[in-house]
Amino acid sequence: MFLNIAMLLSFHFFWQQITGSSIHRYLWSWVLYKNLVLEIGYLLDPLTSIMLVLVTTVAVMVMIYSDSYMFYDEGYINFFFCYLSLFTASMLGLVLSPNLIQVYIFWELVGMCSYLLIGFWFTRPSAANACQKAFVTNRIGDFGLLLGPIAKSAQFPLHIWLPDAMEGPTPISALIHAATMVAAGIFLIARMFPLFQMLPFVMSIISWTGAITALLGATIALAQKDLKKVLAYSTMSQLGYMMLALGIGSYKAGLFHLITHAYSKALLFLGSGSVIHSMEPIVGYHPNKSQNMIFMGGLRQYMPITAITFLFGTLSLCGIPPFACFWSKDEILVNSWVHFPILGSIAFFTAGLTAFYMFRIYFLTFEGDFRGHFFDDVKKLSSISIWGSLEFNKEQFKLDKKFTLYPKEANNIMLFPLIILTIPTVFIGFIGVLFDENTINVDFLSYWLTLSINSFNYSNSEKVLEFLFNAIPSIIIAFFGILIAFYLYGPNLFSLKKENKKLPFQSKIDVILKSFSTSIYNWSYYRAYIDGFLFFFFIKGLRFLIKIVSFIDRWIIDGIINGIGIFSFFGGESLKYIEGGRISSYLFFIIFCMFFVFFI
Amino acid sequence: MNHFPWLTIIVLFPISAGLVIPFFTFYRKQNYSMVYFRYYNWISFINFHWRLGIDGFSIGLILLTGFITTLATLAAWPVTRNPRLFYFLMLAMYSGQIGLFASQDILLFFFMWELELLPVYLLLAMWGGKRRLYAATKFILYTAAGSLFILIGGLIMAFYNSNESTFDFQLLINKTYPLELEIIVYLSFLIAYAVKLPIIPFHTWLPDTHGEAHYTYGLIRINMELLPHAHSFFAPWLVILGAIQIVYAALTSLSQRNLKRRIAYSSVSHMGFVLIGIGSITNLGLNGAILQMISHGLIGASLFFLAGISYDRTRTLVLDQMGGIGTSMPKIFTLFSSCSMASLALPGMSGFIAELMIFLGVIDNPNYSFLFKIIIIIIQGIGIILTPIYLLSMLRQMFYGYKFSNTLTPYLMDAGPREIFILICLFFPIISIGIYPNFVLSIWNSKVNFLLSNNFF
Repeated sequence: MFLNIAMLLSFHFFWQQITGSSIHRYLWSWVLYKNLVLEIGYLLDPLTSIMLVLVTTVAVMVMIYSDSYMFYDEGYINFFFCYLSLFTASMLGLVLSPNLIQVYIFWELVGMCSYLLIGFWFTRPSAANACQKAFVTNRIGDFGLLLGPIAKSAQFPLHIWLPDAMEGPTPISALIHAATMVAAGIFLIARMFPLFQMLPFVMSIISWTGAITALLGATIALAQKDLKKVLAYSTMSQLGYMMLALGIGSYKAGLFHLITHAYSKALLFLGSGSVIHSMEPIVGYHPNKSQNMIFMGGLRQYMPITAITFLFGTLSLCGIPPFACFWSKDEILVNSWVHFPILGSIAFFTAGLTAFYMFRIYFLTFEGDFRGHFFDDVKKLSSISIWGSLEFNKEQFKLDKKFTLYPKEANNIMLFPLIILTIPTVFIGFIGVLFDENTINVDFLSYWLTLSINSFNYSNSEKVLEFLFNAIPSIIIAFFGILIAFYLYGPNLFSLKKENKKLPFQSKIDVILKSFSTSIYNWSYYRAYIDGFLFFFFIKGLRFLIKIVSFIDRWIIDGIINGIGIFSFFGGESLKYIEGGRISSYLFFIIFCMFFVFFI
Repeated sequence: MNHFPWLTIIVLFPISAGLVIPFFTFYRKQNYSMVYFRYYNWISFINFHWRLGIDGFSIGLILLTGFITTLATLAAWPVTRNPRLFYFLMLAMYSGQIGLFASQDILLFFFMWELELLPVYLLLAMWGGKRRLYAATKFILYTAAGSLFILIGGLIMAFYNSNESTFDFQLLINKTYPLELEIIVYLSFLIAYAVKLPIIPFHTWLPDTHGEAHYTYGLIRINMELLPHAHSFFAPWLVILGAIQIVYAALTSLSQRNLKRRIAYSSVSHMGFVLIGIGSITNLGLNGAILQMISHGLIGASLFFLAGISYDRTRTLVLDQMGGIGTSMPKIFTLFSSCSMASLALPGMSGFIAELMIFLGVIDNPNYSFLFKIIIIIIQGIGIILTPIYLLSMLRQMFYGYKFSNTLTPYLMDAGPREIFILICLFFPIISIGIYPNFVLSIWNSKVNFLLSNNFF
């Protein structure tokens, strides 16, 4: 595995950067002209080295994981790893690229790999639609510096592809659509940060886009049924946070959140992959079944390691103190509050929502009783495996009838990356916090991120206590969200035995909640109505335009040509009749003409 | 019955020889001047010479033609009906095309132009698809009408303002004309190429014939080289026309239900880039235009070939009736996807380099106003967004999904070694141009510089 070497190499560069060596820059010319020089090369600076480490570690983990996860796709496993390696290579190229043209090249390549990998299970029609949508949306984003990151990082108007992208295999969702590719947009903005900083208007656009996306993603995530879609919307929301952080000028916080979120979310996705993998033989191979949280529950008894790692990821994402995302998210929250209270309040509200929906998934999936067996009748309908091989399922069914299956813990190959990824999820937060070795009270990450941007003098002199003091509201709001989630989706409510003995006040609250929750549910179900709106405007508009154009092409332009042809044909025919060879008619014609001339 | 295709081999030989010869002659004398290799006084009465020569513009296209014709012969291996006539016509077409690119005399140019039409017509009429007679008739009428304009333009140029007529390109370069006459001549040539190219109002023959067209060569050769003033007059209009063509053909392609028609319209759309490149009178744009011609020649050929392959298997060209064939033929699926990716200008493939250069060429031009550039680039951008939509939805309709019906299964076998060989041969230059374009660009770069510096600056 070359990637392992790459990972070691990137650690090496990382360490070099830490020890404070200069920025490397190698260029060699690619297309040469007098007036234009396109160069390719690579650029190493702190920003790059962080991303390198991030990409390589997550990619290695995902590769190990998918070796086991993609077990059923034997014939296609080569394709899969080929695409995966290509993706990783182009992502590294994107991170290393010193100029915008090279960024664009790898940007496109990353998009193509994402297209191929989303459409990997190409027999599913939904996957086919999803990958096309992803590619086209990303293509739209290729124009303009700002639009690009917005599309790639799934920001507000162009976010529609990300939830659909979950049709791809789960390791892909973990690698591409949670950790690396979606971070490319953030990376690009971070790379262009000195430029954007000159333009306050652009910065405010970035921050507002981020805030809207964060809120929108969180609200949609509230009531999704599909395990992976919740995670997708949560990714969108967290990317919104990063965008917001960059927009308000706290460069360090955005990147810090990028790193912590990448590890946590990769962990969560891999955990969900493990869950899906264990659910598939029981409820069927269709994503509507195996990823549906309604069928899950109580999985903690059956797969404890997955449950614990998933819990770590959840806690981290909610921003509970010792875990990674707490440090970064809290910094964003505080900075946005300082920058502009409305943005800050949106961010705080979203943090509460995050805690709510993340624990909603956790409770629904891992706590309570297993609900997979209540849906026996559904199983038989969904027995078509994705590659259409029915034999495997039949064996499974025979087993199924004899003794009821329970979800099993995934095998060791799948668990290993989960455990490894738990480590950064728990500990990586500390690199952002104070390090005593630096005599100045500047935390470590910002210390060497400032090296890369000279113009941007970020002085972070917060004390630890102050930092923790600022963190209190965010923790409170996170706990508040968790409590609501526990109340609504906690183990008690879904264990069906207690269903009858409802407490009296509970029903009252239920009534109030019901109207609220249905509206939330609808909002979420229709994906905040944005998909429909965009569909109506773009697809319908495009179809209408196509009809007009093809009509023009068919009947007017081609029609004129054919008309000329037909006209000449008829002209020839009529001439043939005129020159019929009858002398009398010639004579008549001549006389007629003579009379005509005579009269004039 | 001997199954070994002697005939194919025999036919293959001169074609591949034709592929090699230009290399030798060209590298002997690598500068922007002409390399002559044939010069006969043919009809001395009107100074009509048999004059062939190669320079930077034409070598790329000659190589391309040789390459594609070689592969097309291989691709036509399964043709069983009257193969001798088939290969004869193919060779005749090939010689017509090479003669066209190499001719240094305007009357010879016209002659080759006409010579090439006839085999194409016969090939279409005899081995074409269902509506082959309609398509062939349309083709011959269109292009014959177009070539009339070449004759008119050429004669005007030859006889204007001199006692003895001359058809030689090198001498014609030195002639000057009044602007009005130049515009008339320019227009007449433009109409001829517009038919062959095909530029917008004259494109409807192409989807019917599924032909390949890379005749923008003439536009550079005659219109730019011989009529520089009129060209600089018309350049913005060419750019506008190209931009409209990109979007228009992309939209039309989306509405097509037929696989081959969709690909044909996509190649119409790609030709719009060539027009823009020629219209932007810059070094970059012109280089990009030539590169786009070559790269599109390769990509379009491979797409048409793939469409033919999948037609052999599915026996249908209607996209709605296909679907789910990806499981049974993964190799074709892979190759089709990668060619579509090349066609939608994925970086690392030749189309991307060409389109990028054309973009930059338009931006580079100092004569156009800022607003004009912005509008053109936005229209190009819309075209670039539309391209993946139609190509990927084509792929989706063909390969994705799952089909339970057993009716199609007997035909669905994967690509054989011959087909894969052809496609890899086509795909290799696409990738290599995409990764290191300097190698190819250097062939005509000096010539482009020479042309631009002589005539426009």
